[in-house]
Amino acid sequence: MTTSPDILEGLLRSPSGDSAIDRKALAGLLVEIAQSLRPELRGQQNGVQPGDLELEQLRTLLVGREIETLSRLTGVVDDPERLAAAIGRVLPTAIAQATSDTRMGHVLAPVMEKAAESSIRNDPKTLVNILYPTIVPAIRKSIGETIDETFQRLNQTLKYSLTWRGLKWRWEAWRTGRPFAEVVLKHTLVYQIEHVFLIHRHTGLLIAHVAAENAVSQDPQLVSSMLAAIQDFVRDSFSGAEHQGLDSVQLGELRLWSEPGPFAALIAVIRGDPPEGLHDTMRNILSRIHAERHHALESFDGDSAGLVDVEARLRELVALSAHAPPRTRLGRVIVVALLLLLLASAVAWAAWWWHNQRLWEGYLDRLRAQPGIAITDAGKRDGKFVVSGLRDPLAVNPLALLGESGIDPARVEAHFEPYQALDPQSVLKRLNASLDPPPSVTLSVAGNRIVAHGSAPRPWLDRAHAVAKALPAGAPGFELAGVRNEDEADEQRRQVDEGQWRAYVAWLRSEPGIVITQTEVRDGKFLLSGLRDPLAIDPLELLGEAGIDPSRVEAHFDPYQGLDPQFVLKRLQASLNPPPGVTLAVDGDRIVAQGSAPSPWISRARKVGSALPAGAPVLDLSAMRDISEGALGKLRDAIQARSINFDSGKSLPTAGQEQVLDEIASDLNELVKLSSTLHAVTRVTLTGHADSQGQGTSNLSLSVARAEAVRALLKKRGVDPDLLQVRGAGQLEPLQDEAAEADASARSVNRRVSFSIGFEEEP
Amino acid sequence: MTAVLQKKVCMLGGFSVGKTSLVKRYVHSVFSESYLTTVGVKIDKKTVTLPDRIVNLILWDLAGEDDINSFRMTNLRGAAGYVLVADGTRPSTLDVALSLRQRVEADYGPLPFVLLLNKSDLAEQWAIGDADVAGLRQNGWWVQPSSARTGEGVDEAFKDLAVRAAG
Repeated sequence: MTTSPDILEGLLRSPSGDSAIDRKALAGLLVEIAQSLRPELRGQQNGVQPGDLELEQLRTLLVGREIETLSRLTGVVDDPERLAAAIGRVLPTAIAQATSDTRMGHVLAPVMEKAAESSIRNDPKTLVNILYPTIVPAIRKSIGETIDETFQRLNQTLKYSLTWRGLKWRWEAWRTGRPFAEVVLKHTLVYQIEHVFLIHRHTGLLIAHVAAENAVSQDPQLVSSMLAAIQDFVRDSFSGAEHQGLDSVQLGELRLWSEPGPFAALIAVIRGDPPEGLHDTMRNILSRIHAERHHALESFDGDSAGLVDVEARLRELVALSAHAPPRTRLGRVIVVALLLLLLASAVAWAAWWWHNQRLWEGYLDRLRAQPGIAITDAGKRDGKFVVSGLRDPLAVNPLALLGESGIDPARVEAHFEPYQALDPQSVLKRLNASLDPPPSVTLSVAGNRIVAHGSAPRPWLDRAHAVAKALPAGAPGFELAGVRNEDEADEQRRQVDEGQWRAYVAWLRSEPGIVITQTEVRDGKFLLSGLRDPLAIDPLELLGEAGIDPSRVEAHFDPYQGLDPQFVLKRLQASLNPPPGVTLAVDGDRIVAQGSAPSPWISRARKVGSALPAGAPVLDLSAMRDISEGALGKLRDAIQARSINFDSGKSLPTAGQEQVLDEIASDLNELVKLSSTLHAVTRVTLTGHADSQGQGTSNLSLSVARAEAVRALLKKRGVDPDLLQVRGAGQLEPLQDEAAEADASARSVNRRVSFSIGFEEEP
Repeated sequence: MTAVLQKKVCMLGGFSVGKTSLVKRYVHSVFSESYLTTVGVKIDKKTVTLPDRIVNLILWDLAGEDDINSFRMTNLRGAAGYVLVADGTRPSTLDVALSLRQRVEADYGPLPFVLLLNKSDLAEQWAIGDADVAGLRQNGWWVQPSSARTGEGVDEAFKDLAVRAAG
């Protein structure tokens, strides 16, 4: 067995304090000597072999007192009971002194653990009884905190699980591999530990205090004592809290979390929403402080100079909370600033919008108040004001009103359909524009009517009346009764004139052969035009009778044939010039000719009758007789039946024919006489004939000579030679065919002068 | 650098003896007096400068009660000394103060204390004889008339207490 040099040193130290002899050096010297004398002793350090007498004597001589002490000590050391008693006497002091040595804990820890272990094994109840009062509240508290923390996580998780931020945090949780709830807490539990107080529990004095940079508070010493006082107050006032102080106090945004320790309590003042896990952190820091500065805390008497280093621990706590929020706080500041900016711009925009809207509504009201403008739709489209409706062309221009309203015309789209407004003002305007009243007339609105006053010429009045009649339904009435007619006198005179004119025209119309196609009074003149049969009366001749000044009349008539029976009769009488024995008369729609007339006239009348136009009366000639059919015809026939014979080759009539000549002359004279009474001219043709003997040319001249001879003979007998015409027929018109009959008689018959008589109308 | 010490000192006394007036006038106070009626304690601070150190006396102003049995003695835990206040015009308050001292002594052992006989400015109403005061002083007590109005005795009392409590 070896003994540690320290123990030896201790044992060698004499309690009597004899310091004259260096006992250690002496002992070492003795051992050295002994070892040199007896080399076999060299393996041993301190042991001394008994039995060597000389040595024993020397030893006794030299170190007798030490040996005595040594044997006494050995006795103590060798006897466990005495050793235990000896150690037991110093052990508490030794341990107390060794406490400052950190190794002590290390050395004792395994022993204590084993001891505790076996103790618990032997009887767990003992430990339970010991721990129960402290551990149960601790467990209860811990469980409570854990449940709180769980609920906190659950709340936050539920709150943010479906939001946009929630999705972002899920992404972060997935990326960092941390539980979602933890990520949520990290972002949502914004808090800052503003103050940490370490308070001496016994005195309530402040041991240490750390505040966040921006935190302010009253004197920490006073605060900590007050906190202690309040803790005491609560502890004293409410039973059941005897061993506990206040765990946490919440005052609005501020929380006071307290962690009690054996000697000191840690109180944190937290702003915001701390995670429940912060309790653990606080506890850990507090227990570390206690472990490190146990004695200083226990013996604290108000002098905190020796505990300055504790502040570093507290600072950890303040720092711990500080590094989470700043970004959030900055972010919040930015967000708040942005929100404010947004709000400000929204307010500004709203104000601007409201202002514009007010302007716009004011403008619309103005427009609505304008007569002749009807708004059907107004609103905003694509940032522009849009207005549409109806606008009377005479109404004010809607765009012109914009300037007065303070609206930028570029921002307005206006579309107005033209219409006629019927409100009195607009109608008044329109009337002023369309009627252009003379200065002597004023138009004004009276109630729902428009009234004209003054005087105006008739044409304007007429126009105004026409316009008034043409005003649409629903328009205000237009009264013209108040306008005096300036042309009244003229008109009255003109009315008289026009009455005469009308009478004249009516008269004309009743005249046959006159057709009035147009009649007009213009500029005080009468215009007249139409058709006039030349046989009709001259219209101008009638003017005098009608009392109309011919100079005021302009008449123009185109000639035409009137088909009126009277007119046709007239015209027939004019054109046919019927002989006295003939009368033409209207009978219904016919014109009947009666009497006798030479046949040429009759045939002429027939021609004319058939040439009458369609629709004209028919000329009836059935009652006409040919003039030659009566006595005149008998005379003619009697004369024509006679002839004057001639001898061959002779141009004088054969003798013995004087009587015949006389008869002929007498008949002729009677015939002329008779025919002249009948307004006819008798034409007598004396035709000389020759027989076929002789040459043709001589026969012709012979025949002419024979006719001349007879004419002379008749002239002699009183016949007007002018009535007698002569002609020679030569041998070409024989009475009998000379070849077929006896030549002599036939030739004798053929040598003659024959008479043919015709009647002609008197020239 | 001068050492700074904190010491807990309680202010004790009967009802209306003028503790609060003393405190109000001569010490650093941040809390309202309503604490006295609600919590029963109000904390104030009196800094006393000694030659070698500065002592911050943390004053626990305890609600004054004439019924000393209802007095909450736990407030004295950890106190380094106390100030007994009595009203010099009302001898009964001196009795209360003495009873309080006895209770404190019983619970917490001997502690440094000063006894202030307050309202010394009301000389004509003064009701405590000099003999009584001398008797008290014979016990080795530090007894001092004081006045919240004139400030008499206040600073001396705190200084003395600070010296003894910090000693």
